[in-house]
Amino acid sequence: MKAWGEHLAMSIRLHFRNRMALIYGYLFPLIFLVAFWVLYRHENVPLLRHLGELLTVSVLGGACFGLPTTLVSERERGVWRRYRLTPLPTWAVVASTAVARYVLILTSGLLQLVLAFALGMTAPAHGFDLWVAFTLVAFAFIGLGLVIATLADTVPAVQALGQCLFLPMLIIGGVAVQLSRLPPWAQHVSAFFPGRYAVEAMQTCVTGGGLGEAGFALGALLVIGVIGCTAGGRLFRWDSQQRFSWSRSLPWLVPVLAVWVAVGVAAEVRGRALVPPTGVLANPSDAPASALLVAGGPVATPRPATPGTKPGTELAVPPAPAPTPTPTPIPTPTPVPPVWAAITPEDTAALRWDVPPDRGVVAPIAGDDETPDEYTEKEVQTVRRNLITWKPGFDRDEVQRVRNLLYVAAVPDSVQLPVERHLPMVVYTHLTDLYAKEKLVKILTYIAKNPEDGGIILNLSDLGLEAVAGDPWVVRERAYLYAIKFLARLTGRPVG
Amino acid sequence: MPTTVSVRDLRKRYGAVEAVRGVSFEVRQGEVFGLLGPNGAGKTSTLECLVGLRRPDAGVIEVCGLDARRSPDEVKQRIGVALQSTSLQDKITPREAIRLFASFYRSAVAPADLLRRFALEARADVAFDTLSGGERQRLALALAFVNRPELVVLDEPTTGLDPASRRDLHDEIRRMKAEGCTVLLSTHYLEEAEALCDRIAIIDAGRVVATGTPAELTAAVETRHAVTLVTREEAPADFLDGLAGVEQLVREGARLRFQTPTPERILVELAARLDRAQLGLVDLRIQRASLEDVFLRLTHPADETEAGR
Repeated sequence: MKAWGEHLAMSIRLHFRNRMALIYGYLFPLIFLVAFWVLYRHENVPLLRHLGELLTVSVLGGACFGLPTTLVSERERGVWRRYRLTPLPTWAVVASTAVARYVLILTSGLLQLVLAFALGMTAPAHGFDLWVAFTLVAFAFIGLGLVIATLADTVPAVQALGQCLFLPMLIIGGVAVQLSRLPPWAQHVSAFFPGRYAVEAMQTCVTGGGLGEAGFALGALLVIGVIGCTAGGRLFRWDSQQRFSWSRSLPWLVPVLAVWVAVGVAAEVRGRALVPPTGVLANPSDAPASALLVAGGPVATPRPATPGTKPGTELAVPPAPAPTPTPTPIPTPTPVPPVWAAITPEDTAALRWDVPPDRGVVAPIAGDDETPDEYTEKEVQTVRRNLITWKPGFDRDEVQRVRNLLYVAAVPDSVQLPVERHLPMVVYTHLTDLYAKEKLVKILTYIAKNPEDGGIILNLSDLGLEAVAGDPWVVRERAYLYAIKFLARLTGRPVG
Repeated sequence: MPTTVSVRDLRKRYGAVEAVRGVSFEVRQGEVFGLLGPNGAGKTSTLECLVGLRRPDAGVIEVCGLDARRSPDEVKQRIGVALQSTSLQDKITPREAIRLFASFYRSAVAPADLLRRFALEARADVAFDTLSGGERQRLALALAFVNRPELVVLDEPTTGLDPASRRDLHDEIRRMKAEGCTVLLSTHYLEEAEALCDRIAIIDAGRVVATGTPAELTAAVETRHAVTLVTREEAPADFLDGLAGVEQLVREGARLRFQTPTPERILVELAARLDRAQLGLVDLRIQRASLEDVFLRLTHPADETEAGR
């Protein structure tokens, strides 16, 4: 154990002397974090909804690139050959290398958290659970990194193999692009990649119910990690002259791939491969993090519940869309006393007015000089006509009613329909027809202050629009942005 | 004298090539034993099997009384190894490397003592990638000594070193012997083997072709003596005509060189002819066969035959 400990300590120490390792291990994850922050800058709580993705990218980079690159380059230079002349057993080398890598990945993750907090992110809902999930994710990917090191004879081969795993997981594996935004075929494919379970396990600890709700993902990561680390240890090569051999490696590579397939098949059998647009799963305990986000995703800071709804029940998952295009049932609390009545001009002034420009792609509003094409114009007229009798537009709760109307602009924007730019002014005109300016300002202010409250509408088919949103968080975010933009118009306040 | 290493009928094959074909030798306690052979003869493969870097296909290897194939870890506790080139992590320092390697063994020498012994004190805390070739080789030796080894195995230790570093290393090997350490080294430098080794095994094409002390080897092999004659005036063309035993004659002005199996008879006749011709003797040398001659004779018999024609 003394040898193991000394080698572990030395591995960590040497890592911090390697400038390139520091850049790849610490700087790149921070750059990723800043990129996510800029990309999702209009979200109410910065980065919180993407922490699972960010941490997964960091672990993937450190474990599937950093670890095998170090191992293979040292093997190529004959470093391990010299160690093999000592009585240091193979397990000690593999274990201390893996633990050293875990320490490095963990510190990298902590650094990301610190920067995220500095950028305004609130604390994850289950901090300890997040550490446990992070550890399992690291375990799974370190196993994968060890296997890559045994497969690759040279550092360029590590890069090639790493990219073959890294990029698919990033793009269609639910790591960099949320599952709910992926087409069904990609969601099926992602069920066979560990990246999806990494994001799911960690995000559930950040904005979901913690480890208890990530049983499947944690189990998948554990099994993948055990097989990967065992195969990586058994196939460990000390010497660059010992080239990759199929006959020696195949008996261990088959179980490594088999466990990925088994996890994917299990996900398919349990019906959890696809994330429905509304995020409804038959068994909520099976829900992946991205689906749980439909529920509004609890943030660490408690939020005032909408009057009439019990705390906690406001996060209830809306039911799946019925076969016939009917709107998602909306909570209809009795607004007594009306919550918006307490809103003051100071509350309105205190809102964040830095919203994307009207001519951009996020929450756009067509200018007077933007004329819709014939098809789009027909859609606009259909919505304008149907809006008059649209049931959610007559909700007994006036706040929810306005919120529902905001969704009419937000849903097409979230799925980027061509009509998205032209509907906001339809909604705005409808709202100003319904309400006096002062009252509308108060209601919109209340909504902007509480963007995560109330029910949500993701399906506008009963308005004559083929628009079904996948990500409720995005819809809520866009509704919030339109509330701010409408307020700006009502109060004459500049935005941007 | 007890035996520290015993190798019997060792075989190692790489695909279609059999690099080691039944190598056998013994190293006695306290001696410096050399494996001498041309590149590709099988020296390194033999040593790699012995120190546990490669698994032999067949044969028996006993080191310090232990079966090296059955107890490789125990053998590693008792031996020290310096490879032809030792590579460590770029940023590790000699002091750290010695301390780290010391932790791998049951008993170890204090790092400070090894740094002093191998003249690395001034460079103890600099990164490995800034060390010179000689410093790296000294560090490799220090690491080989970290566990107070009963046997030190050196694989072509002076390859690539400058003359000064090579001389220092030779001194160090003599010091090891003086301290009672058994040394097994491989080399393709004849003068190194002759200068350092108590006994030598000559390996060629995966087989041991001869074993013995340098003197025994040169005596055992039938060789010619080399004769060099230098005179003040150039000898006439027929000067050596009719002289029996003159082979491979080369004329270089006033210098004559040839080989002979009968140096005594040649010496007598040569003196008489020199006296008669009055050419003025400047230099006359008769040299016995060197280890190089033995080596060439054993490892390149075809060349030797060719040269003798």
